[in-house]
Amino acid sequence: MSDAMHPAIAGAQPSQRAEKNPDAPLFEGAYKERFDGILTRYPNKRAALLPVLHMAQEVRGWISPETMNRVAELLDLTPAYVRSVASFYTMFALRPVGRHLIQVCVGIGCDLCGAEEVTERFLELTKTRIGETSDDGKYTVVEVECLGACAFPTVVQVNDEVYENVKAEDVEGLLKELD
Amino acid sequence: MDSESKLVNITIDGSEVAVPEGTTILKAAERLGIVIPRYCWHPGLSAPAQCRMCLVDVEGAPKPLPACVQQVQDGMVVSTDCVEARKARRGVIEFLLLNHPLDCPICDAAGQCMLQDYAHETGQLQRRAVEPKVVLGRDHVTSEILYFADRCILCTRCVRFMDEIAQEPVLQVINRGHKGYIDTMTDELFEHPFSMNIVDVCPVGALVNEDFLFKARSWDLDQTASICPGCSQGCNVALGTKENRIVRLKPRFNPEVNSYWMCDYGRGEVVRWGAGIRAEVPMVREADRLAPVDWSRALDATVEALEAAEGGAKAIVDPGASNESLYMVRRLMDQVGFDGGSFRVSSGPQHVLKGFPKLALREDRAANARGAETLGFGRVDDIYGAVGSHRGVLFVLEERLDDAPEDFADGSALFVYIGSVLSPAARKADIVLPSPTFAEMDGTFTNFEGRVQRFTQGLRPPGLARPIWMSGSVVLARMGGGEPFTSAAAAFGALADEFSAFSGLSYEKIGLTGAVSAAAESGATAS
Amino acid sequence: MAYPYEHPREERMLSQYFGDKDAIGIDGWIERGGYKALEKALGMAQDDVIQVVKDSGLRGRGGAGFPAGLKWSFMPKDGKVPSYVACNADESEPGTFKDRELMRWTPHQVIEGIIIASYAVRAQHAYIYIRGEFVDIVRVLNGAVVEAYERGYLGANILGSGYDMDLTVHTGAGAYIAGEETGLLNSLEGRRAEPRVKPPFPAQKGAFDRPTTVNNVETLASVPHIVLNGADWYRQWGTEKSPGTKLFSCCGHLQRPGNYEVPLDFSLKELVYELCGGPPEGRELLGVIPGGSSVPILTVDELDCDVSYEGIEAAGSFLGSGGLIAMDDSTCMVRAVRRMVEFYAHESCGQCTPCREGTSWLTKILKRIERGEGREEDIPLLLDVGSNMSGSTICPLSDSAAVPVVSSIQKYEDEYMAHIRDGSCTAKR
Repeated sequence: MSDAMHPAIAGAQPSQRAEKNPDAPLFEGAYKERFDGILTRYPNKRAALLPVLHMAQEVRGWISPETMNRVAELLDLTPAYVRSVASFYTMFALRPVGRHLIQVCVGIGCDLCGAEEVTERFLELTKTRIGETSDDGKYTVVEVECLGACAFPTVVQVNDEVYENVKAEDVEGLLKELD
Repeated sequence: MDSESKLVNITIDGSEVAVPEGTTILKAAERLGIVIPRYCWHPGLSAPAQCRMCLVDVEGAPKPLPACVQQVQDGMVVSTDCVEARKARRGVIEFLLLNHPLDCPICDAAGQCMLQDYAHETGQLQRRAVEPKVVLGRDHVTSEILYFADRCILCTRCVRFMDEIAQEPVLQVINRGHKGYIDTMTDELFEHPFSMNIVDVCPVGALVNEDFLFKARSWDLDQTASICPGCSQGCNVALGTKENRIVRLKPRFNPEVNSYWMCDYGRGEVVRWGAGIRAEVPMVREADRLAPVDWSRALDATVEALEAAEGGAKAIVDPGASNESLYMVRRLMDQVGFDGGSFRVSSGPQHVLKGFPKLALREDRAANARGAETLGFGRVDDIYGAVGSHRGVLFVLEERLDDAPEDFADGSALFVYIGSVLSPAARKADIVLPSPTFAEMDGTFTNFEGRVQRFTQGLRPPGLARPIWMSGSVVLARMGGGEPFTSAAAAFGALADEFSAFSGLSYEKIGLTGAVSAAAESGATAS
Repeated sequence: MAYPYEHPREERMLSQYFGDKDAIGIDGWIERGGYKALEKALGMAQDDVIQVVKDSGLRGRGGAGFPAGLKWSFMPKDGKVPSYVACNADESEPGTFKDRELMRWTPHQVIEGIIIASYAVRAQHAYIYIRGEFVDIVRVLNGAVVEAYERGYLGANILGSGYDMDLTVHTGAGAYIAGEETGLLNSLEGRRAEPRVKPPFPAQKGAFDRPTTVNNVETLASVPHIVLNGADWYRQWGTEKSPGTKLFSCCGHLQRPGNYEVPLDFSLKELVYELCGGPPEGRELLGVIPGGSSVPILTVDELDCDVSYEGIEAAGSFLGSGGLIAMDDSTCMVRAVRRMVEFYAHESCGQCTPCREGTSWLTKILKRIERGEGREEDIPLLLDVGSNMSGSTICPLSDSAAVPVVSSIQKYEDEYMAHIRDGSCTAKR
């Protein structure tokens, strides 16, 4: 991160590799550089909203009201506007999630090939229900719509890593790998 | 509309109409008196074409088109009433009612609800959905406005008002799709001096004014064209009245003054108007007490007192009084010798409506300061100082005198109080001529920019209260000043003849949207 | 991971280097002939570049099939206002994963296409709007963009031509509707990805209210080949109305799921049975959705057509995005349709009443039928609700949601009736 990142890609860093410190300072140091880089790529500040929200989530793990307020201030938007946009997109977590956000694709391609069993196995092993975070704060299992890798069912994305061809019997091993 | 723009001919429901190029089907239909059902479209806001209620059939088009944004083309043949258009509308109504609570009996919007109207017109009686309804509940969005999420049809008029007109996008659609609802920032209420307009633009009962909640059914309200007396802007309003009380004010469209909007202050202000002990009968001082009398005794006493009066006349008037009332006081003073009149104006911070900057809640929180000035009254800070040592006749018009000094009017030879509320200081008068409030009579105000606007009577005045232009004109006639006025229009006619700032104006010319006299427009000052 | 399957009958123009790790980096790409087309294009007049793409007959590969060269020609030529190109890499149509593979294996093929397109339409800035979920692909793309800058294919005075152009990678954040071109523009501008009312079209008023061309990844990836080899060369494949090759993403119940690139006059049946190997051992195919979940399902008897736009249309469906979903006899049709409709309910932006309410209502009715609580009158009800959702909204998402319902009832009503009458399912488990 310390090597100046090319502004062309400063706003497009996969954001879920989260340090996940909900109180971490926003947009300081290298993040400030990225923030400034992002602003150079658009004719107005509003356009930086999605990249900046991604970056905020990367730092803090979720988009809290405080985060939205700060982003609104930096981009000359109202907090309500930021909330409206953030709540439109499913990748922005408006509530805290577990350290491992397990996203099981239930799109038609995966559904035809057993996504349901994969989801059930994840829930069974993490002792959670859909969308809930496990007691130890480690896992949140969610169903997501088509992840666009339908030939490799079931597709599972954990934070910013993609796992293809996951079968129910692979789930236990996958969870072990995460720890 | 640009007179040079080309006209195109189109046919709507079998009738032909020529409209300028660029006109939407919805607007063109209005020319023919055809109102195409709509929810998201509002004349004062942008058109997102999202409710899909205004879909109409256009010959040659593969699918129905939204009339609110579709521009006319020469030779276009539109049907708003064919099977296809009706089916599209019925479909939209059914979709909107899927999760709607149908709580019309306890909904404030019942009777003025576009969902109710169009459901009756185009909907089907039988509900086809057997699925349970989604229940969302309600919450405040401002301290005075409640949002009933279940009734909301997500037309986003309120969102667009805050975005485009208030230009503070603090009200937004949260989430997406069928999980969407309207809200502010998490756990926050918003405040805006024009917030109540979101209640007006809401086509259903989703946003309601808590102050009006359960107070009246809309069909029980009488509507009267009036002018908001809250400040010098002069917003055109409709008074909603019930059982001889003002229940609410709604803006009345006037493109020159307030468009479709008005501020919250005005609405709150007027509902409180006329509070206090009303002056209901004329009174004449007999020794130490004010004795109620009938009008003939009161007028006799007034004529008698004025004829005997010496030392000239001073006046304190209220800048919320009508031009006609102010004019009459001026005439009465002239009989005795005009020695100056004054008024004070309460003030507050100005709030401009950014998306329609002609409109502001003005600093002058009075409707007719400009009129009072035009008629020769002077604006002062201390109304009491101006009459402190006056020994002649003192007229007070409408000013409530709530903060009058102990010795107010003690030195005056004659104190005539003309007003609607009797404060302790007013009770020191020698003659009290009870008058109606603006809502109880006809009249005009001159707004901050010299526009003269009419308000009309919406309430019965209490007891024997009569406008001073009427009672005063009898006094004048008795003192040799011509014929009494039989209408506010006649009083205004005399006023317009006498004061150049009103020259050329009449009630007819002013109509219900106001007018500026040619003299005032060319910058001429009051005579 | 190596690219799973290939087949000798494929015509691998776009996908030649799928599975070839060395083609990902810029050196490997240049060794394989990369950026030659860009050099050639920069030596041509802009309008000549547009003309060759027009002549090639290349049609938009995102789903709508609009002629790409024609779209480019709508852009203003006076250069008075800044204009943009947006590469639509928001691939989200269920069953479609071709753009992902194009960017994964040949990011420079896509970037080269973007630069040529930008030059042709006189844009100064291009954005790759890539769906945020494509985390691994974003990393590949980012690397390639930086490389292209370093080598002077992007930035000021590209290859000494005097043409300046920037490219920015912009990640979405989870919204299918951002793949609709005006939804994409709103999302790029930092708004909710709600489709806009058209007109105005993006070429008049696009990103930031300026003229914008939005093209799909596969469309843009085809451009360098056309520029380099000419329109006639490209037209050696396909039909008059559907020239060239196309990637088909094949998934579901197939022996060899994956991407296959075939000429547009290739047989759909052969694609399914030969290239993809047909259904798994011991299974029969029930039906095939040829172009992503928004197009009508075809029965096994309806597969005798070529895969051109017009060929599939004549068979009763659409080419769409080329996302082929095969379902064998283990499939519960009601469940599969419910899953697809549920997707649209989840992804509806919620602006238009018929879509916002209709998608969720259809889902609820289908779930009820699935649970065995269906009524016979639900069939006409589903059809009528589907009809009220069709042709009545700003964008086609609403129509898309109705399509699987209507087409499956037309073709597989027995499956519905089994659920409704007997509470049973015809799927062979």
